[in-house]
Amino acid sequence: MAKVFIYPATSLILSDLVARFGHQPLGSAISIREHIQTPGFDSPPIQMTSEDPQKGLKWAAVEVPSGIRGRMSLYGPLVEEAEAAIIIDEPDLAFGCMGCARTNELLAFMLREKDMPRLELRYPASKEEGVTFVAQIKEFLKNLEVQQ
Amino acid sequence: MKPYVPQYVGTVTKYVFVDSPDTTPQDIATAAYEIAQGVMIKETCFGCQITGSPEDVERIISHLRKLDPYRIYVKDRGFPPGDARRCRADLGGARPGYLGHEYEMGLVRYIAYGLQETDRMTPDELRAAAGQEMPTPDALDIDILESLMREE
Amino acid sequence: MSEQPVRIAQITCGAEYSGIQNEITTAAETVGGKMFYPDVALKDVKRAYKDFGLPVKSPDLKLAIARAQAIVEGRIEADGIFIASCFRCAEAAIVRNELRRYIVENSRIPVVSYSFNERTGSSTLLTRLEALTTIARRRSLMAREVQVGTTMGVDSGSSTTKCIIMQDNEIIGTGWRPTTEVLKSADEVVALALEEAGLKISDIDAIGTTGYGRFLIGKHLNADLVQEELTVNSKGAVYLADAQKGFATVIDIGGMDNKAISVNDGIPGSFTMGGICAGASGRFLEMTAKRLDVDITELGALSMKSEGGEDVPMNSYCIVFGTQSLVNALAAGYKREDVAAAACHSVAQQVYEQQLQEVDIKEPVIMVGGSSLIQGLVRAMGRMLNTEVVVPHHSQYIGATGGALLASGFIDKKKEA
Repeated sequence: MAKVFIYPATSLILSDLVARFGHQPLGSAISIREHIQTPGFDSPPIQMTSEDPQKGLKWAAVEVPSGIRGRMSLYGPLVEEAEAAIIIDEPDLAFGCMGCARTNELLAFMLREKDMPRLELRYPASKEEGVTFVAQIKEFLKNLEVQQ
Repeated sequence: MKPYVPQYVGTVTKYVFVDSPDTTPQDIATAAYEIAQGVMIKETCFGCQITGSPEDVERIISHLRKLDPYRIYVKDRGFPPGDARRCRADLGGARPGYLGHEYEMGLVRYIAYGLQETDRMTPDELRAAAGQEMPTPDALDIDILESLMREE
Repeated sequence: MSEQPVRIAQITCGAEYSGIQNEITTAAETVGGKMFYPDVALKDVKRAYKDFGLPVKSPDLKLAIARAQAIVEGRIEADGIFIASCFRCAEAAIVRNELRRYIVENSRIPVVSYSFNERTGSSTLLTRLEALTTIARRRSLMAREVQVGTTMGVDSGSSTTKCIIMQDNEIIGTGWRPTTEVLKSADEVVALALEEAGLKISDIDAIGTTGYGRFLIGKHLNADLVQEELTVNSKGAVYLADAQKGFATVIDIGGMDNKAISVNDGIPGSFTMGGICAGASGRFLEMTAKRLDVDITELGALSMKSEGGEDVPMNSYCIVFGTQSLVNALAAGYKREDVAAAACHSVAQQVYEQQLQEVDIKEPVIMVGGSSLIQGLVRAMGRMLNTEVVVPHHSQYIGATGGALLASGFIDKKKEA
């Protein structure tokens, strides 16, 4: 079982397919859950505090807006943990954790930079493309098993 | 700042979505309740949310998937169900992530078809299907968005 | 608080991930407001994005556009709107600015716009959100255009404390002191104003307080009205400038921060408050006066001896570097009056670049506060905006005047009681 970073990190479709085909999806929910289940200072809604954008300095410089650094503090550790990645280009309408285009650009770049198996594709727009989409992901994940 | 004492530590929460002509969200929730054995189930408009130990949640999800294998989709959630910090009733509006689900739920019929078709394929056929190119998304932004809007 | 909370629509990008969402919520609750997310569906986002025509890439900014549209079109009700995004994000700054403009032009809902970073605390947001709730809650009080009875206004600012006594729509007493101890300074200015008016405190029918020390002196004086300076100053400004009807822009360059307020019929429509560094504040002009060895009250006259000082190299972005520029300019042989004018120009430029972009400049432009007495600053601002800036009489007493004016709304209530 490989740890597969999903991009958009909030994707229901990718999260489902990765888990369905026997691997562990790494996405926003994993980091948010860690925040929600860790005691500390009360900072609703997602228990992020000013400390988090500071932690994000590891991945983005101080002149980068705080929202990007905060998001990178969620994603950075997951990217480091990831053994593979599936990237859907242009997540136009993934909001919240994936709501910032600049963060998304940096995140996609980090995933491409890391030496690990990577599949890049886009959302299907027809049934036929749905077959190609699922087949590519299924095949990619199957090959991960072989590599492991 | 006041201290924060988390609840449900060590649990996982998963969303279960269904988009099927044969299975309703209520069917999913009912089936989950039947084998819950104390695991927290919350019925929602799209299926249910399950909160419990990772093993318990996995046990229930494996069972649910069998009800409609190609049309049930599962995703992790950071918050336990009904958490006031994320609840629409308390925020006045949906959290942003809801709209992302709404977007992807508009596409899952293609995924369902893809799952069904690839399930019947031999390894060679799967490899061949995976080798197909999806057209490059040159004019993706507006054109595809518009066609999706029309379809809706 | 027994009143219904004021519903403030939150249109932000990045607040949760900057770790400041709780600060926003807390600040709103402190002033009797409740933040809420305008509820929109995906189809609304797609439509709004297309309608608005600003091709942004960040999904949360598309969502922001949809939320603003839902309010402007009346599908969602809000008493006030808080638009904010991460400091240093260019994409969000464009959206924030255009949304603010869109809301102001198409609705009567007050809006405040702000850029935050992870250090933004609830105290920073408090005055801004208080102004939003005040406008929503006290529209009838804010509509007052004539002062009645005998009332007093006290403005406890970061640099100076001011007091005004009004009677039958006339100013009859004034008091002005540098702020040292908040209560002591307040007592002094009240005594000065009472003496000038020939009255005793028991003659005063109602009291209004504003400024940084408003809560403390409000309690001390048992004030009827304790209100933030954004709304009080705008009211005072349009009252004294005789511009109570229609649009106006109020600029108040204060000792610690600056306010730019776009006013319509005496009620703020949009406003900003801030100033990245003391270099863009009255404090820098105080430093300049000190370095030039003139009293702050003489700096204006000195600067007017110069043509404008635009050719003097001056960087007032930071008060430290700005002071260094002053020293360098004097050492390089520039005249004192040119350096004084350059300091004024520099402050005006900072305010123009950092704050006036966030409100719509509509004439008349009214400058108020102590710094409006420095003619060189008023001239520089007028040149920057290409307009004749109005400085009303008693402009340094603007908050106190607004306080006295608005406090007269409480006289009837007292009589009824």
